[in-house]
Amino acid sequence: MMEQYGNGLATAEKYYSQYGSRAKALKSEGRKVVGYLSALAPVEIMTAANTIPLRLKGNVSEAITKADAHMETIVCPFVRNVFDAALKGKYDFLDGMVLPHQCDSIDRTNDVWSYNLNLPYWHFLNYPHVTDDPSIEFTQSILRIFINTLEKFTGSRITDEALTQAVKAHNENRRLMRELYSLRKADFPLISGVEMMKVLVAVMSLPVEESSALVGNVIKEVSGRETPVGEKLSRIMLIGDQIDDTAIIKAIEGTGANLVMDDLSIGSKMYWADVDITPDPVQGIAERYLRKLKLPTTCVTAGNNYQENLEARFGHIKQNIKDFKVDGVVLFIYKFCDPYGFEVPAMKGFIESTGVPVLYLEDEYSSSTLPRVKTRIEAFLEMIA
Amino acid sequence: MADDKKPRALATQAAAKIPKFVRGNMSETLKAREEGKKVAYAYINDGQDEIMRAMDIIPAWGESFSGVCAAKRDAEKYLQKAESDNFSRSLCTYATCTLGFDMLREEMSGEMPPGAPWGGMGRPDMIIGSGQQLCDPRFKWPQATQHYLQDVPVFVGSMYYPPWDPNINQKEQEKIYVKYATEELRACVGFCEKHTGRKMDWDRLASLVDLTDRTWDIFIDTYELRKAIPTPMDTGDAMNTMVPLTFNLGTQEAYDFYADLNNELKQKIEQKQGVADEEKYRILWGAGLPSWFALGDFQYFNINGAVFPAETTYRNAEKIERLDLPKTNDPLEHIAWRWVRFWTHWYDKARQRPGSIPKVERIIEYTEDYKCDGVVFHSAFSCRSWHAGIVQQAEILRKVYKDIPVLIMEGDIVDISSYNEADTHNRIDAFIEALETAKSKR
Repeated sequence: MMEQYGNGLATAEKYYSQYGSRAKALKSEGRKVVGYLSALAPVEIMTAANTIPLRLKGNVSEAITKADAHMETIVCPFVRNVFDAALKGKYDFLDGMVLPHQCDSIDRTNDVWSYNLNLPYWHFLNYPHVTDDPSIEFTQSILRIFINTLEKFTGSRITDEALTQAVKAHNENRRLMRELYSLRKADFPLISGVEMMKVLVAVMSLPVEESSALVGNVIKEVSGRETPVGEKLSRIMLIGDQIDDTAIIKAIEGTGANLVMDDLSIGSKMYWADVDITPDPVQGIAERYLRKLKLPTTCVTAGNNYQENLEARFGHIKQNIKDFKVDGVVLFIYKFCDPYGFEVPAMKGFIESTGVPVLYLEDEYSSSTLPRVKTRIEAFLEMIA
Repeated sequence: MADDKKPRALATQAAAKIPKFVRGNMSETLKAREEGKKVAYAYINDGQDEIMRAMDIIPAWGESFSGVCAAKRDAEKYLQKAESDNFSRSLCTYATCTLGFDMLREEMSGEMPPGAPWGGMGRPDMIIGSGQQLCDPRFKWPQATQHYLQDVPVFVGSMYYPPWDPNINQKEQEKIYVKYATEELRACVGFCEKHTGRKMDWDRLASLVDLTDRTWDIFIDTYELRKAIPTPMDTGDAMNTMVPLTFNLGTQEAYDFYADLNNELKQKIEQKQGVADEEKYRILWGAGLPSWFALGDFQYFNINGAVFPAETTYRNAEKIERLDLPKTNDPLEHIAWRWVRFWTHWYDKARQRPGSIPKVERIIEYTEDYKCDGVVFHSAFSCRSWHAGIVQQAEILRKVYKDIPVLIMEGDIVDISSYNEADTHNRIDAFIEALETAKSKR
């Protein structure tokens, strides 16, 4: 199976453009496919359950035509678009879904999803928003409930050994992805932002071993590229939640800049933090998802004063700006997003205090608004050039 | 500039007392410093009311301040101020309204911005939020506020309840949730002790928890009087009479208010005094926060013979005996059980009706108990917490219950720019016609 990933970028392109096709093929081989939303889904547990975790995405080029009959337009446009895709049958091969409690748009529409999709397996994983010790203990409890429901669904016990193996496999996957990211640190990045986006999207539809094989092959492939010569381009970081299409990246790179880093929920947010190997694997998983993942939906109150608190919340972005020599940041937030939206002044101010300008955009999960986004990106890039 | 708007006529004397109540709450936050008390920015239904009251912390309620600004049609200056610092108009306008107010006050070195409604809100000594399962702003709002009040310490606790899953018995999970919520409330006590320099008086807390139990009971007893035909009070008044339950829980004043309201409603029932001149249609307010700047719309319903004898909004209480709370000597654990069971106590009923969900079961229960002919929902564009899922609730209601007339109004809680009175009234007219048609078919 792994040989199919020999040509890494071509394979990434295939699974990017035919999203979910590999999971669908595995389903026809008798595997159970469990869809999920958000970086908070503990893929280690789904892997240990011998299911195929498939992170759902929408289609920015497709108008929402079915979802509005069931879900309010005040819901996150990404969530609405994915739900619309599911209603239209894009994910009709799913055996089940897990919705982690990331935000109101997911929490408050859990009934809408489960009622309309009516899949054999459904679970709402009720993560807390705070990260203190009682919250870790609580998270372990709700992860165990999740494990129990998966065991019932698959008919197989999920052993600690299987969980530890899955943790190791996903940590290795993250290590490889970080290695790939590091190839973007050079003055002339070895992989473009558009290519990287295709890899990031492709891997979220693959079993972990296949994902790692693909990333490994992409590393080999792009490492062999000759270093380009010419004028150094502006180096941009993109911040947001699930941006899973190349449209915005093309708008950035098509204007003569390199997207060299991201803080996206399908990107570096996913791959920077590993799960610690703990005697009880659920403990390590709980700590990773609640404390190590840098999502605005977890409320970090650490720090003796406000500046320290900002460091605890956004310090990783500052570090990445330094490591990837970022010249400018595009902060792209979906409309109706309270968790990200309420962070904008704090995050923007924090980043700008490092001397790096920020372009804040609030928009839809749709290519229909791309022209105006592109105009603003062009003006921003002109300013920082 | 605030519009000169004629206030809504109220059916009860109790509701007419509410502006004084709200003013009193806001004025306490302004007097606190000279009285040696601490002020906390606080958020409703976080379960922390009795803790704050037991420690003599004066809560400054953001939702109340924004509601007042909206009702006076004077929120725009604060919304615009927040927007000027990149807070989107699509975010919770309760939050952005107070954030704009905070920004202006800080720019004036802590002085009250001129024209702040009802004297404004006092600058807090602390912020007490909750990352609970009620809405995202409950933990993002405190964080965002601290950006402007950087010296003010923030506590964010947690108060969760088991999610609805028809295949999982919530009772198997409740203990996990209650244990967690209790520990979070204990952390809240620790935070309050640290920032007031006082120790919690646990006996006082226990007596306030008991007072809250009794307030929940008398609140429900009183609201159930509205089952009478004609109903003696409708949702238009309830959007006022919710104030003591929502903002003054754990105080004797709240209990006494409902005792007075109870007497008043009994008198009205005895005199067969209703809300509408002729009560033709009884409607349930099925979900959604109201447009505070357009409470007069309730009167428009009343003029057309439609009354709301019940609502789910701000009825965040239940008769304690119906919650079947396990006994405990720990007042914090009791608070946790009370809130967890409040959210889960429709689960068993929902499980008995295939295809139903707890929120719909609650609507069915009230529709039956209060003999309602239709259901009205309000969808506020800036609030996902209460308003996402309404379309689905209406759909399930019709499917598992009956083809009952439903109206989903659209607007906002604070931002008047989304509101069009003529359109709203046209939609109400059409709904009244639908009620009439449904009635004539019976």
